[in-house]
Amino acid sequence: MGTFIARRLITLVVQVLLVATIVFLMLRLVPGDPARGILGETASDEQVAAMQHRLGIDRPLWKQYTEWLGNTLQLDLGKSLISGRSISSDIAIRITRSLELIVISVILSLIVAIPLGTIAALRANRLADFLLSSLAMLGLSIPGFVIGTIFVLLFGLVWKVLPQSQYVSWTDDPIAHMKLLILPSLTLAIGNAAVILRMMRSSMLEVLRQDYVRTARAKGLTETAVIRGHTVRNAINPVVSIVGLECATLLGGMVIVEQIFNWPGLSSLLLSGVLSRDYPVVQGVVLVIAVLTIVINVIVDILYGVLDPRIRLS
Amino acid sequence: MCYSTLLTYDRDNNLIGDLAEEFGWVEDTTYQLKIRQGVTFHDGSDLTPDDVVFSLKRIQDPETAATNAPFFAEVSDIATGDDNTVNLTFNKPFAAFPFILASTNSYIVSQKWIESGVDPKTEMMGTGPFVFKERVPGVSITLEKNPNYFLPDLPYLDSILYQPMPDDTSRMTALRSGSVDFVDYVPYTQMGIIDSDPNLVFESDSISGFGWIGFNHETDPVSDVRIRQAFAHGMNRDTMVETAFAGYGSPITGGLIPEGMIGYSEDLEGTYNGDYDAAKALLDEAGHNPLDIDMLSTSSYSVIQRPAEAAQAELTEANINANLELQEWLTFRQSVADGTFPVHAWGTAIDYGDPDFLWNYMHSTGNSTKWFRFKDDQLDSMLEEGRFSTDEDLRNEIYHDIQARALEILPWIYTIRRTQGEAMASYVKGYTHLQSWVPITMREIWLDQ
Repeated sequence: MGTFIARRLITLVVQVLLVATIVFLMLRLVPGDPARGILGETASDEQVAAMQHRLGIDRPLWKQYTEWLGNTLQLDLGKSLISGRSISSDIAIRITRSLELIVISVILSLIVAIPLGTIAALRANRLADFLLSSLAMLGLSIPGFVIGTIFVLLFGLVWKVLPQSQYVSWTDDPIAHMKLLILPSLTLAIGNAAVILRMMRSSMLEVLRQDYVRTARAKGLTETAVIRGHTVRNAINPVVSIVGLECATLLGGMVIVEQIFNWPGLSSLLLSGVLSRDYPVVQGVVLVIAVLTIVINVIVDILYGVLDPRIRLS
Repeated sequence: MCYSTLLTYDRDNNLIGDLAEEFGWVEDTTYQLKIRQGVTFHDGSDLTPDDVVFSLKRIQDPETAATNAPFFAEVSDIATGDDNTVNLTFNKPFAAFPFILASTNSYIVSQKWIESGVDPKTEMMGTGPFVFKERVPGVSITLEKNPNYFLPDLPYLDSILYQPMPDDTSRMTALRSGSVDFVDYVPYTQMGIIDSDPNLVFESDSISGFGWIGFNHETDPVSDVRIRQAFAHGMNRDTMVETAFAGYGSPITGGLIPEGMIGYSEDLEGTYNGDYDAAKALLDEAGHNPLDIDMLSTSSYSVIQRPAEAAQAELTEANINANLELQEWLTFRQSVADGTFPVHAWGTAIDYGDPDFLWNYMHSTGNSTKWFRFKDDQLDSMLEEGRFSTDEDLRNEIYHDIQARALEILPWIYTIRRTQGEAMASYVKGYTHLQSWVPITMREIWLDQ
């Protein structure tokens, strides 16, 4: 296990360096200039040049790159070109908000999807399976922004049970915070649950066809014991992998949900950074997401071993 | 809200003093402002004429890269005078300059505060009606009443909490569900709903914001004036207002200067408004009937995209098939600056309350004119005459002629004005919507509840 983690850490450094370099270069290849964005529509070329100088983006690329890399290695992600705030502290604040939403939505989707996926597999090609599979297909086909907007309109405007309001932190008002969490985490959970349900169903069907399941049944084990002891645990590995991937994707990929519910997370920071060509912000956020994605993958690999001792982490 | 300008506007859109209690041209090339006494910054220090001189010179300094710097190009000296005054000396008279002093880009700051090394991007400290209290990144900005504000009894509100809500639906739902009292940037799709709700009020204008079709005059065939005239004739502006904004706007069929501003020319109304036959005849004459052409716009702002799509639909009636490409905002701006496309569709709002705003789009040194790669000596000299003249009657005449000339040679084509405004709960009192060039201060608002 020690060698495994050490090897993954070395790969992590190489991968992160690669991601950082690619992001740095790609951002500068995208047309659009942060100086023009800051100055507004009527700025002259001279004003744009003066602003580029102030922001330091008129220096040679290699100089900007080496300086940024040097600072990043010292864990200093720099300051936003637009707001002037420290990027590290902005990311630190926002990542906790994003993780909170992701963790809750993933737990919700697991609680719902694993039992339902199991039931669908056990009742394969019967009414229950048909209903559950249709439900999953519905959850997959309706985009998150449609579900989110319907939630906002129904709960916020028609029934007024969960009004739209500003983000309140956990420490300021835990009850208001919990209320605010409900709709965005449900919106995210619906899509996730649909994926997990389908994955669990197909994985279970595969395991149910295995010889050892037949043997277990032939031994006279009860159906519950067969399911709990022999099938669910074996069927869950692909689900773990999917959940890991989903978490990593959501870190920077829930812009729409964050916008609809005014949830000031990491995706919104990334989006505003990209739109205003705030290079250091985008670089910082992408770097953090890259590191977390790799860490999540390592955790998934370790979990594989825990769930299935036959998989040796060597 | 945290800062003040030297001049501002009253509810009738006239210039009045803010930090300046008296102001005006004392000579053709000298503008004098008498600074109000007893005004204090939020840190308790007194506002002095030196702070005003410092603030204006800071705008003028190329190092600052200030938005209003080009308007200070003809200012040769800024100095304090007797009796708490500040004098600006110009190389030539500049009639529109007072409007520049009233813009949101001409705030007065404390010299001591700026020189102490603060970052004005992350902090705010001025003489305005509200004091900056807190910023929670991505969540809110809190302002509190300035108890020492220089106008007695104002502001009425104790505090203001700003929340950024980028999504149109959630912003409007927040207002309709009572979570917030006031929202800006009301999307046109919600204007009807707000208008019909007795608990809400919509304050708007259809004057400031407008859309345009711009050309790269160095590319064929739009370098031919007949083609540009075909574009101008080929769009029915009334239909465009319906298509783009469900009727929430107004057509521009003549000059761009709105009613009430110097140079408004009623006689030019109706010059262009969907005469498809004339458009086709011009295309024939120019040898390009039908015309297939690439047109660029942006998908980032519906107030730009919608008129662009409406224009595209209209132009087909005149045998002009515009292949519309939509780009993200900063990419779009770069493409326009680079002149990549022969035609682009854009929209903006009038910058300040004087017809001199046309300089930017029609004078060969104007920043937008550079995108059009356009120069007309006659327009240049008329715009210079308008800028440097102080006689109002003469200016009315000059700007009429400028607009007539522009409609003849078409450096660009204005299409429709959009309705833009703010919505609020009916208990929000004292708010008056003014044009885009007037800073919102919120100082006279109160809640009747």
